[in-house]
Amino acid sequence: MPQYQQQASWRLEGGGQVIDLETAVKDGILGGGESGGGLPAGKDGSFGASAEKLDLKKMIEELDSAAEEDVPSVFICPISLEPMVDPVTLCTGQTYERVHILKWFSLGHLTCPTTMQELWDDAVTPNQTLHQLIHAWFSQRYLRLKKRSEDVQGRTAELVKTLRKVKGQARVQALKDLQKILAAHPAVKKTVADSGGVALLSSLLGPFTSHAVGSEVIAILVNLSLDSDAKASLMQPAKISLVVDMLNEGTIDTKINCTRFIEMLMEEKSFRSEVVTRLSLLVALLRLVKDKRHPNGIVAGLSLLKAICFHEQVRSLIVSIGAVPQLVELLPNLTAECLELALHILDDLSTIAGGCSALKDCAQTIPNAVRLLMRVSEACTQYALSILWAVCKLAPDECAPLAVEAGLAAKLLLVIQSGYSPELKQRAAELLKLCSLNYTTTLFISKCKLTRTIQ
Amino acid sequence: MISMLYFVVESMGSFCSRQQPLNEVDSDENKQAAEIDKRIDRETKAEQHIHKLLLLGAGESGKSTIFKQIRLLFQTGFDEAELRSYTSVIHANVYQTIKILYDGAKELAENEPNSLKYVVRTDNKEIGENLSEIGSRMESPCLTKEIAKEIATLWNDTAIQETYSHGNILQVPDCAQYFMENLERFSEVNYIPTKEDVLHARVRTTGVVEIQFSPVGESRKSGEVYRLYDVGGQRNERRKWIHLFEGVTSVIFCAAISEYDQMLFEDDTKNRMMETKELFEWVLKQSCFEKSSFMLFLNKFDIFEKKVHRVPLNVCEWFKDYQPMGSGKQEVEHAYEFVKKKFEELYFQNSKPDCVDRAFKIYRTTALDQKLVKKTFKLVDETLRRRNLIEAGLL
Repeated sequence: MPQYQQQASWRLEGGGQVIDLETAVKDGILGGGESGGGLPAGKDGSFGASAEKLDLKKMIEELDSAAEEDVPSVFICPISLEPMVDPVTLCTGQTYERVHILKWFSLGHLTCPTTMQELWDDAVTPNQTLHQLIHAWFSQRYLRLKKRSEDVQGRTAELVKTLRKVKGQARVQALKDLQKILAAHPAVKKTVADSGGVALLSSLLGPFTSHAVGSEVIAILVNLSLDSDAKASLMQPAKISLVVDMLNEGTIDTKINCTRFIEMLMEEKSFRSEVVTRLSLLVALLRLVKDKRHPNGIVAGLSLLKAICFHEQVRSLIVSIGAVPQLVELLPNLTAECLELALHILDDLSTIAGGCSALKDCAQTIPNAVRLLMRVSEACTQYALSILWAVCKLAPDECAPLAVEAGLAAKLLLVIQSGYSPELKQRAAELLKLCSLNYTTTLFISKCKLTRTIQ
Repeated sequence: MISMLYFVVESMGSFCSRQQPLNEVDSDENKQAAEIDKRIDRETKAEQHIHKLLLLGAGESGKSTIFKQIRLLFQTGFDEAELRSYTSVIHANVYQTIKILYDGAKELAENEPNSLKYVVRTDNKEIGENLSEIGSRMESPCLTKEIAKEIATLWNDTAIQETYSHGNILQVPDCAQYFMENLERFSEVNYIPTKEDVLHARVRTTGVVEIQFSPVGESRKSGEVYRLYDVGGQRNERRKWIHLFEGVTSVIFCAAISEYDQMLFEDDTKNRMMETKELFEWVLKQSCFEKSSFMLFLNKFDIFEKKVHRVPLNVCEWFKDYQPMGSGKQEVEHAYEFVKKKFEELYFQNSKPDCVDRAFKIYRTTALDQKLVKKTFKLVDETLRRRNLIEAGLL
């Protein structure tokens, strides 16, 4: 027996919104309302007018991506679960999208998909009423969306104009408003760029910019797509100094914005490493990375530090501020994502003499690195191994025993037996050989046993 | 503290002279003591809300000019009596300046290979000798129209002009040109110095001067209260009194970056920039400033701007690794950034690891430009207020 429930009342239930037919007629989606019902001409049973169909399709698509409201369930085809563009009704009274029900028939079924009833008549009747309702519903919302977006674009252009004129508190407020709009409607990025907003914002940054203004400007700039010229002009030393100051003094959000901003600039081809060769920047980043209260700050800081480490010239400066021991000591408490970044940084630093000796001098380097082998990810293992290799090569007599005592040998065996890349395994083998030099065979084998603690 | 001690002494004095029965004396004594305690408490609390700023720096780094600017900006400025009091100072400055130039020309004429260009014209020689003599007196005479004319004549002598442009090895003050250009005005009978004149006037600061002010911003009901201290910059027994400034909110260290090619007044074999470097290092190491923010004012930017094109930075040993780049404005910016980085390096090298949380900011200033000083101070104010909020956990 069909599990078909008769609707007792004439109420359409759509999503969370109850469309009562009376309300719908009075001032709901049909008639009344700001945009009218949008009743299409030519209601002669065929929705063949392809122009109309395309409109509806387009509206459905755009509204779908705006994803603001749930489409009433009665407009949805039970087969495709999409809003119906050309609804047709079967003799059982159920309505489906024409294309899909015809496909159902062509597969040989002569039943109603939802009620499972056998069809006594295979005719499909276009459901004009439903089509009109669907069209009206979508039209209204589509027009509203368009108007709102125009509004937003208009407001944005206004704000940019205002910014050119005002100063002081009014300027800070205008910047805050602009940021709010951008956050809510990302599409206005283009409006901002078109009205010369980027150049304007860039000009607001200078040696005498207050923190209040600077932090708002950066918050906006990180969410815009900047072209090469804009980025080049933003790399001026005075502007970078301001950003570094904010990185030192701002709230955690401002600090994160500043790191993202600098990372953005670093992607530019014309970027020169002198821009980031600043002690105050590096010290600020280190402080950010050590701030346990703000995990997103740690990620942001490490990410920028890694990008900076890529430039070899800056590495010695980073080592000079004591970054190595501080990063090594952080390792045990970092998340997986942060570990990869931190280890990558330390690995880069190990390539310079100062970095390598700093690693060797820090007591925690070897134990932490050994512990991280085979623990988190292939990348982490690779970097940890590379660091251990560098340190053991530098002072084999001192470091190899320490490493072995920390359980390095067993871990290396695991690496060699793992499914990791051949280069990595080769490295592990070489390191194992290096460490075994000072031991007799039996003693060394005993060190290779996996004990509980090492596991 | 001194005012409180005075109060205590006063009240004790009046107390002792009273004739009262013993038990009454007792309770009175307790009441008085309680009053004193309360008052000490109140004043200590009030003191804590006052941000103390200490101006430090080598001699002629511009500390006192900044001090004067703050007075002009946030206090009632200089009244007429005070302006008048600067007249004799300015006149003395004029005499000192022309003396230095004339004596300097003579010295260069004797020692420099290209000596002819430093030889003053014969008819100006007598004027020169006369002025040199006046300038060496303890008290300078008033600047009359006649003398002013003579000074102007001497100033326009090519030898003197030549000497002025090589003024770095002599002790020619930076505002020499300003003084020479305004001679006529200075020699007016009813001359009252303008604010601008007072800012340029040079008096060596002795002892400590302080002012208390409150910079009220555009949207604030009541501003923070600051107290600014200015101490002399010359090399005297600094280490003996510096600890009296323990716990100041902020140290404002002034460094005149245009001085990289000049020698000290106290010791003309020592480069001024090197002296500033050593002083900065010394200040950074003082434990009494461990908690204070450091605001570095890189001063005399306007002179620096012009000098960079003529005199390469490398003449100063500290800057010997400088590599010039670009031209015009770009060159200036590049040179400035280089100097800034040097100071930053110095700061981080000399700050103990546990002072990492100390605020450290560098500002570019031209102490004579009131607008710039105002803008700079606004930023300093913002930084200190934010620090307060951060420390109180509100940010």
